[in-house]
Amino acid sequence: MKDINLVVEICGSAGEGTISAGEILSRFMSGQGFEIMSFDSYPAEIRGFGKCVAHTRISTNPIYSPGKYADVLISLNDRHSISQLSVLKSDGILIYDNQPPKAHKEDQSVVGWATPGMISYGIPLNMLANKAAGNARGMNMVALGALAALFHVDKDAFTGSIRNRYAKKKQIVVDSNVNSFLQGYEWTKTNVNKTDLISFDSVSPQVQGEKLITNGNQLVARAALDAKLSFYAGYPITPATKIMEILSKELPKHGGTLLQTEDEIAAIGAVIGAGFGGKRAMTATSGPGFALMTEFTGLSMMAEVPAVIINSQRGGPSTGIPTKTEQSDFNAALFSGTGDCPRVVLAPTDTSSCYQAMVTALYIAEKYQTLVVLLLDFFLSNSIKNIDVPDKPSQEQIYANIAPNKEQLKDYKRYKDTKNGISPRAIPGTPGGMFFSTGLEHSEYGRPDYTDANHLKMTKKRYRKFESILCEAPKLEISAMDSESVDIGVVSWGSSAGAAHEAVMIARKEGMNAASFSSMMVSPFPEDELIAFTDRCKQILIPELNFSGQFAGFAAGIIKRPVERLNFITGRPMAAEDILQKMREM
Amino acid sequence: MEQIGSEYLDDKLATVKEIDFLQYRSGDLPTWCPGCGYFGIVDAFYKACRELELKHEDIVAVSGIGCSGRTPIFINSYGFHTLHGRSIPVASGLKLAREDLNVFAVAGDGDALGIGGGHLPHVARKNINITFLLFDNSIYGLTKGQSSSTTPHEQKTNSHPAGNPDKPLNPIKLALSYDASFVARGYAGDPQGLKEIIKAGTLHKGFSFIQILTPCVTFDKEYRTWKNLKENVYDLNLSVKEKNMETAMRAAENEPFGIGIFFQDTNRPHYQDILRRLNAAD
Repeated sequence: MKDINLVVEICGSAGEGTISAGEILSRFMSGQGFEIMSFDSYPAEIRGFGKCVAHTRISTNPIYSPGKYADVLISLNDRHSISQLSVLKSDGILIYDNQPPKAHKEDQSVVGWATPGMISYGIPLNMLANKAAGNARGMNMVALGALAALFHVDKDAFTGSIRNRYAKKKQIVVDSNVNSFLQGYEWTKTNVNKTDLISFDSVSPQVQGEKLITNGNQLVARAALDAKLSFYAGYPITPATKIMEILSKELPKHGGTLLQTEDEIAAIGAVIGAGFGGKRAMTATSGPGFALMTEFTGLSMMAEVPAVIINSQRGGPSTGIPTKTEQSDFNAALFSGTGDCPRVVLAPTDTSSCYQAMVTALYIAEKYQTLVVLLLDFFLSNSIKNIDVPDKPSQEQIYANIAPNKEQLKDYKRYKDTKNGISPRAIPGTPGGMFFSTGLEHSEYGRPDYTDANHLKMTKKRYRKFESILCEAPKLEISAMDSESVDIGVVSWGSSAGAAHEAVMIARKEGMNAASFSSMMVSPFPEDELIAFTDRCKQILIPELNFSGQFAGFAAGIIKRPVERLNFITGRPMAAEDILQKMREM
Repeated sequence: MEQIGSEYLDDKLATVKEIDFLQYRSGDLPTWCPGCGYFGIVDAFYKACRELELKHEDIVAVSGIGCSGRTPIFINSYGFHTLHGRSIPVASGLKLAREDLNVFAVAGDGDALGIGGGHLPHVARKNINITFLLFDNSIYGLTKGQSSSTTPHEQKTNSHPAGNPDKPLNPIKLALSYDASFVARGYAGDPQGLKEIIKAGTLHKGFSFIQILTPCVTFDKEYRTWKNLKENVYDLNLSVKEKNMETAMRAAENEPFGIGIFFQDTNRPHYQDILRRLNAAD
């Protein structure tokens, strides 16, 4: 059986159906049993004719990163596509409109900019769309038809997929889209002389059970509902807004309440209020909102009230670049706020682990009565992947509060100094459990107490919880090592981990002796495991999407060794190709 | 339980145990200055709880930072001393998650109208069913005498020794323009009247805004003193019929020392009822 590993990009102007063509392509391929990952880019502005790119990777094997370069570029708009040629492989395939309604000047046609190794197929996209439906709207479907014909993709299955996509629309919409597809298909079959080698003939991937086509934002919302979230407060901010929008629909159906607040301070305040009331509560934001929430992070830790904040990182600092991806809130997540203020930080490493991270976040927050920050980023929030349907959380993960027993309520110490640091927590409404919580340093009874001995005792108690939390860390992702030591160990976190694992896999195939390490839990950090790993590495490479190497500095402090850094702030997700190139240079 | 002053307090408590509203008082010795108006406020609060027969475990007092922030310590109930200016959002989240609880938010004038001023319009327009007690002594007390959002124009304070250059806010006018469904003013020197207002506010289904005039006996010797308050405070005596917006606004503008209920809309649904109706229709 043949393998397929293909990156297709569709480039057009906002409103030309670029993104929906990409969506149809990836849904269809997923239905055919392929692994898919797609990541679209579009302008931050709602209106206008900005450049849109639908980027889809299709593979018979597991996909860890979206792929930096495209094998195929479909141009729906030559003006935008010219700059996108830089992403097309030097032997890639260009599909373009060879009969545009207004003839392009020579330097405005994308084909004029294609380099000699590229294969260009001119298809009269606009003309065929007009022929099919009387207008140019179906150009995107004509292009998909051309793609299907060129690469020997099952025509009938594809048209079925298009019908499904528009099932809720009027029949005329369904027909014109299908007809456009067929026009593109037939014209290409008849007129194009295929010179490339890509073919889906005799490629039959195994359809493995039910697949969920989803992104990080949808998954955390789904996981939160499955884990019995009962309160959400939030303020709109890109790229986290979708989480609130999904929950605003779903949470009331599950008996919960959603509150849109006046700002992010009120959002986290309300979450902490609901947490004080014994309910599972969370908020989601991005860098600028997280900055506002900082004052409440200390209260959650100090008063030991459960709270979960999702920070979907975007380009920073300040308002930064709202629709680009970056990993530059590592320091803010771990260290923002005043005083000795430990908190849990989870950073899922790929789309499917967003579900587990969300369940774990709500569980740890409740059981350990503390703040948990869940770090997503624009890429994880928005990139689409087909994943296995996740397992629902266990009862233990859903009901995690440790309540005081009758004996403990006789002389109730809300902040009892226990072995593991967890003090049994009464929920308001419990007779005899009345207590007072404060952000002031306090005694075991919760009363203000500023003596030095008490401050030390209670600080130690709060830190002690974190020793146990480390045991709750989801499994580390460490690649197998063939030998006692490796030449290059790649240590990564968050959404860069996929590209790092992929780079290491390719490197090993090329004969390099390399291994990779990543941990979803970044605070508290599994320091011993990292040291054990890096002790076996001659050189250490840390790739991440920020300028200053925030995680690299943190990790170097743990292992007390110099590390090689690889940093990008291009706004694009981490690419395995770039890590691989760096490894070759090391 | 080892705490400073606890022996003294136990003695005191033993003698007053029979007075049953004191069951709402905690075993902690208040940290306020002798003669502080806040004693009168918590007294009225205890009595209101007693007369409403609220269960201790169903009461949560949420406060901000400042002298008023300590209030929950002195109440025998659940209490949450949060952040400066943030008692409203915390209380809102708590109430929305736990409708069964009686949630009181407490704040001072700096707390509620200065640093936390941005939350007031929204809790009012949403009509979240909490009772808000504004301890208004028109000064920052805990930081020792700086101008607050309700300090009179030109009053000399420690932050403005030459006189406060700012105009004071009018809390009642603000609450009315934010569409609070219950707006009242009480006076710390009249615990009986204040008790009735707190009771009415607690029974009101929606956001109840209660401004409480109180002196800071330590840092304001000039304006909001017991003497001035005693001389100036009077009962508004607005009849129920008159509790409409126009009358209330006029009273808010012209009667800075009038106490009583300015405005109440008993027909307006509170936030959770609105959510339930909208979600059911969806």
